[in-house]
Amino acid sequence: MAETKAKMICPDCGAEMNQHAEKLIEPTTAEEERRMDPELGALVEEFHTCPKCGKGAARPGC
Amino acid sequence: MQNERPLNIPVLLGTVRKGRASTHVARFLLEQVREREGVVTELIDIRKLSFPIDDAGQAIKDKDLSEKMNLADGLVIVTPEYNHSFPGLLKHVLDSNLMEYVHKAVGIAGVSAGPFGGTRVIQNCLAPMRELGFVTVFFDLNFSNVFKLFDESGNLLDASFVRRTGKFLNELIWMADTLRYGRENIPLK
Repeated sequence: MAETKAKMICPDCGAEMNQHAEKLIEPTTAEEERRMDPELGALVEEFHTCPKCGKGAARPGC
Repeated sequence: MQNERPLNIPVLLGTVRKGRASTHVARFLLEQVREREGVVTELIDIRKLSFPIDDAGQAIKDKDLSEKMNLADGLVIVTPEYNHSFPGLLKHVLDSNLMEYVHKAVGIAGVSAGPFGGTRVIQNCLAPMRELGFVTVFFDLNFSNVFKLFDESGNLLDASFVRRTGKFLNELIWMADTLRYGRENIPLK
């Protein structure tokens, strides 16, 4: 992975989730624009899935 | 693949228009998916959802739909072709989620009253599907002349669609299964 962060924990079953994707998100509000990565010109979002129950979750990336 | 949970592949009926013939297509596909071993499904009718039209995107996320999409491994979208494209309300509904779709398989069934079977709406669906994170399969369904394809009770009058739908589902299920394994087990490098 590009960045090493703590594993996301499944909000439903508590298992460690697998990060399988990240995406650059265009800001749609002034608040999001303030949080934007100036080099990438976008917000980074990480996508995780739980191998135990299949639940998906997302969190801001870097 | 080794997973005790059944694949979850809902069928999304993507029009609210009165007199919609796509209902027959969606119900036919629902039955075809239900016959597959190891797959669960349900019909999601966008007419039954309640979305505001004074905002858009994830700001108007519907909790129930979000949960269903989150737990889905793939999706069948049934869309009529209106003026060569998809219904605006279908796009409005799809845009309310993002994380819920990432690295999941989607297959599209186009519906038209004319002879082209929604080929143009399917083409127009591909770009937004990609941007939403879906992985499109390379097998479409084209329900042409739909008002002659089903009787008034919704019974299919052309049995050749059963075989074609079988091929479509083979591809969609393979893709959904493969992507589920990837989502759950293969970390982003």
